[in-house]
Amino acid sequence: MKAKHLVRIRRISQALFLFLFLFLLIESRLPQDIYVDYSVAFSSEVDLRIDRPTTFFFQLDPLVWLTSLLSGHQLIKGFWWALILLLVTLLLGRVFCGFICPFGTIHHGVSWVRPALKGSRMVKANQKTPGQRIKYFLLITLLVGSFIGLNLTGLMDPISLLFRSLALAVIPGLGEGMKELFDWMAHSDIKIINLLSYGGEVLVSPIFGYGHLSFKTAWIIGLIFLVILFLNRIRPRFWCRILCPLGALLGIFSRLSILRLEKDKEKCTECRLCSKTCQGAASPMPGEDWENAECLMCFNCFDSCPEDALSFRFRWAPAFNRSPDMGRRAVLGGILSGISLPLLGRLDGQVHKVSDPRLIRPPGSLPEEDFLRLCQRCGLCMKVCPTNVINPTLGEAGMAGFWTPHLIMIQGYCEYTCTLCGSVCPTGAIKEISGKEKIERPIVIGLAYLDRGRCLPWSGNGPCIVCQEHCPTSPKAIYLREELVNRPDGRRVPVQLPYVDLKRCVGCGICENRCPVRGRPAIRVISAGESRSLKNRILL
Amino acid sequence: MELKGKKGINHPITRRTTLKRLLQISGGMAVSALGGLPLNGPGSVWAESAKKGFIVEGLGEKEGYSLKALTRKVFDAAGGISRFISKGDVVVVKPNISWARRPDLAATTNPELMEGVIELCQEAGAKKVRIADNTIHDARRCFAITGAGAVAKKTGADLVHPRSSLMKEMNLRGHRLDVWPVFVPLVEADKVINLPVAKHHSLSILTLGLKSWIGAVGGRRYLLHQDIHQTIVDLAQFFKPTVTLIDATRVMTKNGPSGGSLSDVTIKNTLILSDDPVAADARASMLFGHRPEDIGFIRLGQKQGLGTYDLKSLDQKKVTL
Repeated sequence: MKAKHLVRIRRISQALFLFLFLFLLIESRLPQDIYVDYSVAFSSEVDLRIDRPTTFFFQLDPLVWLTSLLSGHQLIKGFWWALILLLVTLLLGRVFCGFICPFGTIHHGVSWVRPALKGSRMVKANQKTPGQRIKYFLLITLLVGSFIGLNLTGLMDPISLLFRSLALAVIPGLGEGMKELFDWMAHSDIKIINLLSYGGEVLVSPIFGYGHLSFKTAWIIGLIFLVILFLNRIRPRFWCRILCPLGALLGIFSRLSILRLEKDKEKCTECRLCSKTCQGAASPMPGEDWENAECLMCFNCFDSCPEDALSFRFRWAPAFNRSPDMGRRAVLGGILSGISLPLLGRLDGQVHKVSDPRLIRPPGSLPEEDFLRLCQRCGLCMKVCPTNVINPTLGEAGMAGFWTPHLIMIQGYCEYTCTLCGSVCPTGAIKEISGKEKIERPIVIGLAYLDRGRCLPWSGNGPCIVCQEHCPTSPKAIYLREELVNRPDGRRVPVQLPYVDLKRCVGCGICENRCPVRGRPAIRVISAGESRSLKNRILL
Repeated sequence: MELKGKKGINHPITRRTTLKRLLQISGGMAVSALGGLPLNGPGSVWAESAKKGFIVEGLGEKEGYSLKALTRKVFDAAGGISRFISKGDVVVVKPNISWARRPDLAATTNPELMEGVIELCQEAGAKKVRIADNTIHDARRCFAITGAGAVAKKTGADLVHPRSSLMKEMNLRGHRLDVWPVFVPLVEADKVINLPVAKHHSLSILTLGLKSWIGAVGGRRYLLHQDIHQTIVDLAQFFKPTVTLIDATRVMTKNGPSGGSLSDVTIKNTLILSDDPVAADARASMLFGHRPEDIGFIRLGQKQGLGTYDLKSLDQKKVTL
């Protein structure tokens, strides 16, 4: 096949997979088909599900498969996609990086649209550097850490990182900007601008959300994303060459690849066009040793060589390719940090000793220790949550649980019969459950406690009952007793006072969300009493 | 300080067919008619005359009776739907679909009834029928689970998503409530049909037609509970419906207003239609074994001139099927 065609196929494939990734990301939301036939609804509570393969890219990611196997001892749903990818990598090298990876495509695009460097400086930037060993260090850290019991993969895995950045920072950020614009337009004096704002809102809401989305620490997530994009100014595909642990894993697997770069030293005129266009700094020039573990299979060198000195050929004879240049320090350092991180991560006591009262995990979450072995911190559960209650943690789950999901009831609440988060979790850190399990209460995410000093009726400041009204259980977990209360003027008046029946509460948090006392409500859900943890039990 | 909402009213938006189509295609809501409405809400039909009001009670006695047929019969007894809806009207049907509960749990308006009413409006030549309620649970889940979405799809009515830009601050001029965000489709409509469900409520005793207007405002409506009866009446004097049709086909007798269990539900097979919002609520309260004057907002509603709970002063009719 001609090089030109190969490059064209690569570009089409990159565009298609990037589009598929974005499409699945946007589809990770409450199903838009709200027109459910109500004769079905009559017979049972409906468990709404997304009928799209929203976790496809996570299934395709061998790093997600391998670390959840090492750490959680579980084969995730659809893991055979990852096995297929590994098989393909064994035969063809890092084609995932060149043809499929949406994050790689974004870097490729950024580096291509506006190259940072010109001419010989670009050639120099594309020379292999010892810095490229960092990715092996990171990979080994993640694998050893997973084996010992702390799965930090999601922080660095390109699919998780991209999903998290887009879903929690980029899309809500753009959405917020548009919302501000539409609100400004809606209050304009010019009619046509009013109308345009309504129309625009209807068009963008299904993608950017219906309300004001907010995610705690989203600014850090967005900032990191921007920095990673900016690194392409230093070297093209900086992330893929130097940081990506998935690239490192695939690089190791490409050792047996039969698709190899053949160099013809005779024809080479040392014009260095191949080095100038090389995306992976894989030493494509004749005379250098081709680093197949670094090669992103972009076929740029093949395409750019004016002398036909380079070509990719299948060589069937079984032989090892050049071994990946990891460096002893990267390996030893990786092992050491892989051992120390899980141990350091436990020193704040979150797993065995204390439990932060604000650490309310989504319904169906595994016990904390198992949860941390599987959670990818990808943000898929946060993206699908219809009330925006699921947020990334900062310190609530300790260092080990940074950016894992937890519920902030003053931002939203857990819909009584909604079970979307568990249905999309790629690794099963949140189990798929049915609405029935929430209603019949084997699954409780926390319990509500009253703060009588703040509560309007309890403090004698007037009738309220909003928490009791919203309580979704039947019979209600929040019940009322009419009692005499001292009002500020000294009169004793009868008023309905709310009480919580802990045996009925499911911890959904709508009481906290709707309490008129804002910011720090008079009724709050804390994790004590959650069903996933025996340690957090309260009632006998 | 100038009120934000006032601008929209002083500078009404005209209808634009093209944009409306755009809105329909994109599957959301359509806002068009801000045309010439007075500040104090939609024009009410009974303001024009001192005619005697009416109240019609429909009872489904036969097993497996058609709720749609009963709806039609009830309207026919009141003089036919065309008495209320004229050709070319933009009609807003205001059901109670606050909770994401399936229809048989009686927390929300019966979708079959909603469908029947919308079809009647369309027969009467309504240009556009909208379903509008500012839900408590996530709106899209409410639409799906209460059956409102299915009704919209079947009848072609617009289902209005209660987005924040559709809440405009207006002066309600009530005893307790002044400036409050109002869900605009309800004040933009030519005719409004209030379609509440009758159910228990822990503070106001019952949720009926008058209380249903809490679903027509936005903002911090959880403050309304601090003087619930007066705020209900304040809202009801602002949102005067063309007609109120109370769904008491099945009623929630305890654990209101959200319920959640079939044991909270009693079958009543009753519809109550009236042009007097207080009378409709009064009749419905009797289904629960209450005396109308024992319910604060009904008593207050009569006192402040919204209507009467003296049903004998009205033209009373009863139809069965």
